[in-house]
Amino acid sequence: MPDRKKLTVSYAPFWHDGSRISTKHYHIMAATLLAVIAGLLRYGMPALGVLTLSVGSAMAWEYLMNRVTRRPVSIGDGNAALIGLLFGMLLPAVIPWWVVITGTFVGVVIGKQIYGGIGGNPFNPVAVAYAILMISWPVYFDFNAALVDYPFEFTAAYPLVLMKAYGSAGIESFSLIDLLLGRQTGGIGATFGLGLLIGGVYLMIRGFIRWEIAVSFLAGVLVSALCFNLYNPEVYAGPGVHLLTGFTLMGAFFLATEDSSSPVHFIPMLIYGALGGVLTVLIRNQGAHVDGVIYAILIINLVHPLIDKIRPKATGRVMHHA
Amino acid sequence: MIKRSFIGITAPRLTYEVIEEAPAEPMTVRPAKRITLLMDAPMEKTGGVLLKTGDAVQQGQRLQLFENNPVPCAISPVAGKIESVEPFLGIMERQMTAVVIALEGSEEQGRDAEFKNVFKSAGLAEADRFLRDLPGRPDFSVFNRPDRPVKTIAVMGTEQDLTAVTQQYVIQTNIAGVKSGIDALRKIAGIQNIQLVVYPHMVQVAGSSGAGIKTVDLQYPAGSTDMIRMALEAKQERNTEVAIFTAEAAVAVGAALQTGELPVDKLLTVVRKDGTRQLIKAPIGTHVSDILEAVRQNVEAGDRVVLGGPMTGHAVFSLEQPITPDTDILVVQDHSELTEFSDIPCTNCGSCVRVCPVNIPVNELVRYLDAGEYEQGAENASLFACIECGLCAYVCESRIPILQFIALAKHAVQRLKAAEEENA
Repeated sequence: MPDRKKLTVSYAPFWHDGSRISTKHYHIMAATLLAVIAGLLRYGMPALGVLTLSVGSAMAWEYLMNRVTRRPVSIGDGNAALIGLLFGMLLPAVIPWWVVITGTFVGVVIGKQIYGGIGGNPFNPVAVAYAILMISWPVYFDFNAALVDYPFEFTAAYPLVLMKAYGSAGIESFSLIDLLLGRQTGGIGATFGLGLLIGGVYLMIRGFIRWEIAVSFLAGVLVSALCFNLYNPEVYAGPGVHLLTGFTLMGAFFLATEDSSSPVHFIPMLIYGALGGVLTVLIRNQGAHVDGVIYAILIINLVHPLIDKIRPKATGRVMHHA
Repeated sequence: MIKRSFIGITAPRLTYEVIEEAPAEPMTVRPAKRITLLMDAPMEKTGGVLLKTGDAVQQGQRLQLFENNPVPCAISPVAGKIESVEPFLGIMERQMTAVVIALEGSEEQGRDAEFKNVFKSAGLAEADRFLRDLPGRPDFSVFNRPDRPVKTIAVMGTEQDLTAVTQQYVIQTNIAGVKSGIDALRKIAGIQNIQLVVYPHMVQVAGSSGAGIKTVDLQYPAGSTDMIRMALEAKQERNTEVAIFTAEAAVAVGAALQTGELPVDKLLTVVRKDGTRQLIKAPIGTHVSDILEAVRQNVEAGDRVVLGGPMTGHAVFSLEQPITPDTDILVVQDHSELTEFSDIPCTNCGSCVRVCPVNIPVNELVRYLDAGEYEQGAENASLFACIECGLCAYVCESRIPILQFIALAKHAVQRLKAAEEENA
């Protein structure tokens, strides 16, 4: 009788580069840490409370949905935690707990799970959550009102509001260095520009986000802001200010680059990112809203399947079809 | 196994193994008790089968499976007695026939003389009849299509898959044999344009082959048959063909036509669990177990044994499976090193799209295939452009068995088309 050892049989390829979804999400979360820690130092325990509640509740919603829809438990892939973390980073440090939980519900359940979970969402779940909540309870998303009790050593008004109200003159008290180092009010993790930049560059180099999207998004912001600025410098602030205020850096590195809702081909990625950047500045300068990043990202998410059709023709083996 | 590099901003670059300047002699492996020859046709129980249990066969004898069809055939690499003829299920439900020959008598016994009588005047018909199952599986059927005339013959000194060094060894150590093979091919097929395909570092050696030299990059899959065929077909008129022979096949054809004796030993690279490499020479049909014993590689339950390379090969389910004329590489993987596929859906990260050598929108294709929409995938997402290099599944973060999806879809669409034609 020949030796019958049970061998592992599977289909080619038999090698794998070792990457996995969870690794990627943990790295993205790690890349936010600089900005998150700066936010925690600035806003203290309330900010920690908001972030932990946001991450925790996002994971809880995911687990609950896994159970309800009877699908494999997927909180281990880190996606829910990432949604929670990014959502928390956009919030003001002082926000009622139920807003956070509602937000993660919208993000995880309505933004992602009802489309079939990871990979199925047509919009960035964080942007969906933020947009819906901002429209539903605008009062809690007013950074000036929310952060009124904090003693700041700098102008304690949200730069984008000042910009909207007073034009370039409104933000004269902020130098670009101040903005870069986070001496401005805003979301918990969205103000420390230097930290976000370092995190974003790290993710681009490691290949965890697509550099084409982030770079073209920032280029879109810079170029369109520069055009407005050249047209009327009194009313429209310069590109540097647009780059370092509001959610621009969060949007470029962490929101627009979300896998499922963004294109994968080279030219579409450039169009997608640039469109997002231009829309951001358009909404800020011309629209009714204070910050345009969230809406800009939802709009480019909407057009991504269309522009992703711009792609090179497959060159492979020609099949002689009958 | 090559892992993801720290810097991930560009697509990964997998390169073919390069053989050292003075490679060691291949180890000769002899089958222990029996060999198995696989014939690519379903076993018909109804009759007309020429091969019977108990028949004696000579070394070098041409074994034809059916009475009325010359195609499913093999060259017996050993002298012995047919032990069994039974159905064998190959990859993707491929119906094959396994002929097991028990070794009997010594190899010094006379060789079969059928080919010896005709080799001096051999043309395409004899080549097609006798040489198709030589090591490297030279395919002469491509010359029999008047509607798609062959304009170029490519002789591949490059490898089909990573970690193999088989064809490089042939070029490096036996360029004279390659030359006589090229001359033989030129004579049989009557085609002057023969290109020897090599990696850049082999150009000097390849120069004396008397063929044109085409160099390809060391980056996988530049050296694969399909990439070469595409590159060469682009240079010639439409509806003309490129015939592809491996260097080993060319050498075998040359030797057969020079001596009248059919070569039966296959050269292959064995990669052990620890990654060390050993070239071996063994008769076609030798069982994997005999080879592993010779190279001192233990296999335990749960390990994976792959014929044909880490990206494109296929895993065997039993060590009693044989090497075939086109097995260039045998890889053994320890069970602790295997990566498993998962059922996480595609997250649209785009790694596959960036790594695909033929620009297939893999992210879209995999959605069609996941939904079972195979024909849609063929129509809208270039399913049939795939050259099955396996890079998409290699880089997939969600660990989707993309290549298996693709192979299954191609199989299903082709079967559907065949059924439609039959009923038309």
